[in-house]
Amino acid sequence: MSNGLIIETNSLTKIYKTGKVEFKALDNVSLKIKKGDFIALMGPSGSGKSTLMNILGGLDRPTSGNIIFEGQNLAISSDNQLAEIRNRKIGFVFQTFNLVPSISALKNVALPMTFGGVPKSSRDTTALDMLRKMGLENWARNLPSELSGGQQQRVAIARALANNPSVILADEPTGNLDSATGVQVMEVLSKINKEGKTILLVTHDSSLKKYANRIITMKDGVISERK
Amino acid sequence: MMKDIFLMGLDALRSHKIRTLLTLMGIIIGISSVIMVSTAGTSVQSFVEEKWNIFDPTGMVVGTGVATDPPKLSFNQVVFTNNDIQKIQNLPHVKDAAPVGIVVIRKISVRDSFLKWRSAPGSTLYASSSILLDVLNLKLISGRIFQEGKNEVVITESTALIFGKDKPLKLNDFIYLSRIDGRLLKAQIVGILKEAGDESIINQFMSASIIGPVDPYYSNYIGSNAGGILHRVTAYGLLYVTATDKNNVENARNEIIDYLNSGISDAKKYKDTRYDFVVITQEYIISKIEQVMGVINMLITVIALISLGVGGIGIANIMFATVTERTREIGTMMAIGAKRRYILQLFLYQSIVIGLIGGLLGCILGASGSAFVVQVLNNYLQELGGGGFAGTITLIYPLEWFGISVVFGIVVGIAAGVLPARKAAKMDPVVALRYS
Repeated sequence: MSNGLIIETNSLTKIYKTGKVEFKALDNVSLKIKKGDFIALMGPSGSGKSTLMNILGGLDRPTSGNIIFEGQNLAISSDNQLAEIRNRKIGFVFQTFNLVPSISALKNVALPMTFGGVPKSSRDTTALDMLRKMGLENWARNLPSELSGGQQQRVAIARALANNPSVILADEPTGNLDSATGVQVMEVLSKINKEGKTILLVTHDSSLKKYANRIITMKDGVISERK
Repeated sequence: MMKDIFLMGLDALRSHKIRTLLTLMGIIIGISSVIMVSTAGTSVQSFVEEKWNIFDPTGMVVGTGVATDPPKLSFNQVVFTNNDIQKIQNLPHVKDAAPVGIVVIRKISVRDSFLKWRSAPGSTLYASSSILLDVLNLKLISGRIFQEGKNEVVITESTALIFGKDKPLKLNDFIYLSRIDGRLLKAQIVGILKEAGDESIINQFMSASIIGPVDPYYSNYIGSNAGGILHRVTAYGLLYVTATDKNNVENARNEIIDYLNSGISDAKKYKDTRYDFVVITQEYIISKIEQVMGVINMLITVIALISLGVGGIGIANIMFATVTERTREIGTMMAIGAKRRYILQLFLYQSIVIGLIGGLLGCILGASGSAFVVQVLNNYLQELGGGGFAGTITLIYPLEWFGISVVFGIVVGIAAGVLPARKAAKMDPVVALRYS
């Protein structure tokens, strides 16, 4: 954490077994992510970038190797510990927005705080602030289905920011949006990064490279970075 | 936290109103039938206990007939002597024994002046002792009880009106009773009884409208040639007996049967051997009715339980479908920090709420449904009684069953929700997020 290191992985390996066939999704991945980084993780599908993101995000554990997230080794953390890390230190943005359809935009944004045990009044204030930041304060009471794709993704970004996490993991955030809306969303992410938030963007759209300060390419479970 | 997750569960239910409603139906039907069964059962039972309360709960009728189950009384054997009554009275668990002599009255007359008479068709006079009033639960509304050996009777309110509502018979009036053998019995009215006849089925056909002492109104003799000398002994066809208390009714009954069947009873000597001694207790009558109702209750309860089970399966089914349908949502919630137990709670709360609301709505529906059932039963009773029998079943809600039903609804909700909720909580977030 000193010298601004947020995530450090050592020889991360993930092997999937289907029957007798073994598939090495991650092969000795060692990576350092520093505070304020905007990393674009690129590579063709099947290259292992989703697997890496899942492990960096505490959704999955490596077969071997360590991942130190702000001093805590996620490889040996329990389900509940991982849930807490995800809740407080990581903000997820998904390609398909993944808002809870039965609750309002405001409640969606407040959801990480709900799971984090934040009292309702301060939850609602923060959530409304986040929506305002995304220019969506007038849509707070609307259900996700009443919002456009771009609006939904901005609600999702607001949700990802709600608990003031250390890192935002965005998995193809523009994949389901038209290009103009995609640009808007990327600009929002860029703005957040400039405010100091660390962002890991997973994409295979090379036009998004320009927003990142580090570009990591994956192929067959191995990463490479052009300095 | 739990409250927030609970509210999220409510939101989810609200966002699928029709699905929730249909799922509720199963529970509502099950619970409402439980309520209907228990309410109708309680109401009818209390009706039976109240209206068939022909005598005190410790009371019993002793007679002759066929000792089958249920026993049949026949009224053609007049065998119980005063000696028997005395002996029965002295049995350890017997409190009182009263003879009932049935005197058929052809007509009842009053004398307005020396030559001016008015008559009305008569009914039955019960010749007995004052104990009978206690045994039959009859209450005096005015006057006093008759005295043995005097020409005194008590009559019911309706008998007081046989000469018209405008000319009611009053206390101290004299009436003349024409016995079937032609003898005219003079009687002074000393007491008016509270009407019980139109309330009780038994009283209705027994119609104890006039009650007087054995002496002078009753004379039924049997000949006995014991020892070669012909005795004329007063005897009765029926006795009313009370036990010392409710718990000893069966003891008293057995003592009476034992005494009567022993060699020392007069009744045994006079009774035709084709007949048995029969003792019918109040408890026996009620237990018979309860037995029948118990079978009906059990059948409907089984049906209610089956429908509740089906309702529970319905909840489980829809919860499984919901969990599958919301797989990605579950993955998302896990990704943003929901612990497994929150996911478990989220779905469990939904099925519990369905069980709870189903239970409450089922109670409401069951309460109105049973009001309807009791109404239908009452209409049927009216037809059965041809208007003469005015008994109605009072709606009594067994409140404990409402509580039990709501708890039961919740239990069904929990039971049905556990597996789907566990399925949701055990999901791998990576797999769940990839689900489409």
